[in-house]
Amino acid sequence: MARFLMRRLVLFVLALMGISLLIFLALRILPGDVAAVMAGLDAPPERVDRLRRQMGLDRSYPRQYLDWISDFLKGDLGRSILTNRSIASQVGIRAQITFPLILLGLGVALLLGIPLGCAAALARSPRMQSFSHMAAIVGGSVPALWSGLLLIMLFAKGSGLIGLLPSQGFPTLGWAQPGQALAALILPALSTGIIVGAGIMRYTRSLLGDMLSSGYVDMGMACGMTRTQAALRIGLRLASPQLVSVVGLTMAEMITGVMVSENLFALPGLGSMLITDVGNRDLPAVQSELLLLAAFFLFLGLLVDVTHKLIDPRFRGAARQEVAD
Amino acid sequence: MNADRHGTHAHDSVTATDTDAAQESGPSTDPELNARIRPMRSGGNTLPWKLLSLLLALALAFSLWTGHRGATGQAEGGTVADSVTVGLKLAPTNLDIRNQSGTALDQLLIGNVYQGLVSRDSRNRVRPGLARTWNVSEDGLVYTFNLHEGIRFSNNHALRAQDVVDSIRGLMAGHYQGSEMLEGFQDVEATDPLTVRLTLSRPYQDLLWQLSGRAGLVFDRRAHYDMKTQAVGSGPYLLESFRPNDSVTLKADPHYWGSDKPKTPTIVIRYLNDDNAAVNALRSGDVQVLAPVTENLASSFRNNPDFQVKEGNDTDKYVLAMNGKGAATSDPRVRKAIRYAIDHRQLIASRGGSDRALGGPIPSLDPGYQDLTGLYPHDPEQARRLLSQAGYGPDHRLKLRLTYANTYGSELGDQLRSQLRQVGIDLDVRVVEFSVWLQDVHANKDYDLSLVDHGESHDFHQWANPNYYYNYDNHQVQELYQKAMATTSADDSNRLLAQAARIVSNDAAADWLFNYRVTTAWRTGLEGFPVDLNQSLMPLSDVTYRRG
Amino acid sequence: MSWEHTDRPRRGSRAAFPGRLGFLGRMRVVLASMWRKASERYSLIVLVMWILFSLVSRFWTPVPIWTTDGYRIWQAPSRDHLLGTDGTGADILSWLMAGSATNLAISLLAVLLSGVLGLLLVMAMVSRRSGVSQVVVVLVDALISLPTVLLALILAVPLGPSIAVVVVACGFGYGLNLARIVRPQALLAAESDYVQSARHSGVGSFRIFCTHLVPNVIPVLCVQLSMSAGTSVLAEAGLTYLGVGVPSGLPSWGHSLTTSVKFINVFPLTVLWPGLVVTMVVVALNLFGDALRDAIDPVTNPGLRAAVAAAGRSALQPAPQAVSAQLDDSDHLVENAMYAGEGGNDVAKY
Repeated sequence: MARFLMRRLVLFVLALMGISLLIFLALRILPGDVAAVMAGLDAPPERVDRLRRQMGLDRSYPRQYLDWISDFLKGDLGRSILTNRSIASQVGIRAQITFPLILLGLGVALLLGIPLGCAAALARSPRMQSFSHMAAIVGGSVPALWSGLLLIMLFAKGSGLIGLLPSQGFPTLGWAQPGQALAALILPALSTGIIVGAGIMRYTRSLLGDMLSSGYVDMGMACGMTRTQAALRIGLRLASPQLVSVVGLTMAEMITGVMVSENLFALPGLGSMLITDVGNRDLPAVQSELLLLAAFFLFLGLLVDVTHKLIDPRFRGAARQEVAD
Repeated sequence: MNADRHGTHAHDSVTATDTDAAQESGPSTDPELNARIRPMRSGGNTLPWKLLSLLLALALAFSLWTGHRGATGQAEGGTVADSVTVGLKLAPTNLDIRNQSGTALDQLLIGNVYQGLVSRDSRNRVRPGLARTWNVSEDGLVYTFNLHEGIRFSNNHALRAQDVVDSIRGLMAGHYQGSEMLEGFQDVEATDPLTVRLTLSRPYQDLLWQLSGRAGLVFDRRAHYDMKTQAVGSGPYLLESFRPNDSVTLKADPHYWGSDKPKTPTIVIRYLNDDNAAVNALRSGDVQVLAPVTENLASSFRNNPDFQVKEGNDTDKYVLAMNGKGAATSDPRVRKAIRYAIDHRQLIASRGGSDRALGGPIPSLDPGYQDLTGLYPHDPEQARRLLSQAGYGPDHRLKLRLTYANTYGSELGDQLRSQLRQVGIDLDVRVVEFSVWLQDVHANKDYDLSLVDHGESHDFHQWANPNYYYNYDNHQVQELYQKAMATTSADDSNRLLAQAARIVSNDAAADWLFNYRVTTAWRTGLEGFPVDLNQSLMPLSDVTYRRG
Repeated sequence: MSWEHTDRPRRGSRAAFPGRLGFLGRMRVVLASMWRKASERYSLIVLVMWILFSLVSRFWTPVPIWTTDGYRIWQAPSRDHLLGTDGTGADILSWLMAGSATNLAISLLAVLLSGVLGLLLVMAMVSRRSGVSQVVVVLVDALISLPTVLLALILAVPLGPSIAVVVVACGFGYGLNLARIVRPQALLAAESDYVQSARHSGVGSFRIFCTHLVPNVIPVLCVQLSMSAGTSVLAEAGLTYLGVGVPSGLPSWGHSLTTSVKFINVFPLTVLWPGLVVTMVVVALNLFGDALRDAIDPVTNPGLRAAVAAAGRSALQPAPQAVSAQLDDSDHLVENAMYAGEGGNDVAKY
């Protein structure tokens, strides 16, 4: 386990370094210049040069890279060239929308996916089975943009058929208005959660299906549990390591849906920040945000792997055996 | 249980575990295993068809629903709100009005937070600002400004002539935004605490108007603050908070020096980049006024007593620039053919019909305007003739590339492509990031056609500058422009500008697709919001909202 | 039933069906067996229509796509415009047809890239040099959690929105995923007796990989690639909406979806069609993978088995029992390596 952890950690650091280099280089070959964007159409070259100096764009590339990485490791994500705000604090503010949104979406997905998946796996009638199968496939095949639009058309206050929930923006005071803040996140969370939930449902069903046919559930039934009890108590528990992995990776992959939702529902979160900064060519902001996200997801992957190994009883058994050998 | 598993897995998806399961009943020498082989395809599964028809039924339901929900009317009267939320579209990336380009900053800050020596009214004429009065010497070289008494910045510092002098000198020394517009600037000095004298090396007709914009803004020389995130000025509003790309909160300055005291204590400005979001925000009451509202979306407010909709005049010119030194576009016949080929009325109709046709470089609110729309009427036949004269035809089709920034959407490019195609021009449309556009088109002038909304006012100088990205070099136009700026008579200046504009238009240096007019929609009960020119000049002190 | 009895497939047994049946004959049997079930029939019809529309749209669309009419924008469906018109007065049906070609190209390229990348990674993973295989396994584990959109953003900064961004971002992500899912099966096959004996008789490892390992993972490959194709359609829509996918001016379903988004309040109908098309196609791709897996595998398709048997009497040979014995020992290995693959691609997130 220790060796596994070490190897995984080293790879994590190496992957992060590689990605940081990739991000840095990708942002340097791009045409266009943030100083020119800022200076505007009728700018004399002196103004552009002065701005470029001010922004530190006249340093050599290796210098810029090293400065950036060393600051990043110290926890200083730099300052946006355009807004002169600390990127770390901006990310902090934006994350207050994005992370609750991811968590809510994930909550929706789990609440939908796991019970429905279990029900589907336990269903005996072929009709129910094929229905749940198709529902899962169709649910997972809808583009997030479209599901968001359909939700807006149905439930948005002001324009929807049943005007219930706000569909645009976040309260100006943020979480100081908890009710409104939560309401603003419901539709976006649903639009990402339903789609992801379909995937989780599909996964839960096949996993539990496997468990049902494994000896463990039979054993449980032999001990007097009903099939449902055995499936849920023993099967689900055995399936939990895999479910953890799936949930972790789901969180990583949800980010695209979240970014689409943020744009569609006009939420000032991390995703819309990233898209705007890319458009503005705000290099320090874009590179730090991208690296931060990459680090976050790589770390999530690491966490998932380790958790999986830790909670999988079979792996523990195998590990013990290894030691015994 | 085995049956169960088959049912579950036979048409399951994707997963590795499933794969294993599905292969389970392989033929084998083991008779027991072979006995368990059962046919996979078990009867017809009609579910996908059912789901499909469900989706189609849904489609039908939506087609019957037009999405318009009327609201009940509200009576006049009620309480005056102490806060108004304004919805705008383009957000400033930062507040540094000296360095950051873009009219979003002018719109937000000038007249509300910062003030200039002189100001503008809604018809784009110069009006008094910090300067109560001014006079100009006979030869047009010396301008003397008399400041109001008792002007204070929001930090309670008094505004004196020296602040004006330092601001303008700083502008020129730092090459800040607007400095390039003070042509012939020589010096500025304070003759006493309330009098500023500005001298020019040569007369400049446009000086006062330019001073009503960024060039004339007066900053507190004793205040030190981060101009990107804060703003300290002498205007009626204080900048309370600024959230990039999201919102700005303005608070009325209780000690404001002027007579145009702000009528609403708090004004929140929200930037709604998405047109739908903006319309929904207005409809649901999140904002009380929206400028601009996309004309095609404004229709739902038009017949609703809860809302008012009005188009304002503006100086936005959608310019289809044609590279004067481009491989094909250097030929005037090609440029003229393009102008004949474009159906401006159709473009305007597709945008909802509120924009105005514009035949030349000067819009109606600028000096030197005249109606030039008759010069190049939509005439595809004429366009084809000109193209064949220039050597293009069915065997040798003209290929051009249109490069423009993605802020203008893909629709215009698609329409131009379609219209030019009809006269035999193949347009390759490239929609790029603004910064790429700046690099390729604006800086390197590497383009055939380009599309820009030139929103600036008093910007005819672009056509008199052979180094501008248009690559338009006409000595006669340059001479006329110089004369127009050098004359001390406004009428003469207008006449000369009009003359120059006609030449530019005749030369087909570009095509002016239309004069964009901003549609503003607001809730009934809101008053005092500027409708004309509000994308570059949005004084908010008169705004009030009476809740129904 | 005990854990050892989980009816793991007889990996390697496919080698027992070398078959004398020609490719076309095999295809005929495969298609016929797929046609029998409604959901698979649906997927076949939709996919064939997709390909057909893509080809036809190169030469003909109901209205040429570069025909705009500013006086007839956002029109409801009519005889002239079966699905109505968009914001420039162009025909929505024609744009969707033209878009199907772009999306087909993106899906094919992304699938190709992910297939090649995935198999290369698998090759490294089952390599007998344990250093290489370990590093690759852990590297894939480390990188697999990077979302597609992040890669797309990194690429889009220098490249601008382009098809290449979508293809590379999808291909890379799905390739890693594929490797992770295929590895356990490939490992089992690599440890099987016939591979060992091939190795002992001096067959090169590349050749072994191609002739023994790849055929063994084809069923998983079918499912995975087909699903990747579906996910890439969703990814195209999402990325194009975010401005880093297909550039404007190039018809694609994502483009149709994005342009119609603007006016949903006034013209909700226009947004329906592209979303419907995308959903239908992605559903079809998901069903297709499973169907193909079941149909091309003689182990699960009795019809094909019979046909093969009929074509070459001597084809049936006993499956190597040793493989199945080996399987049980490797169960924990399979489980461990397999877990994550599922979630990665399976869950559609766009």
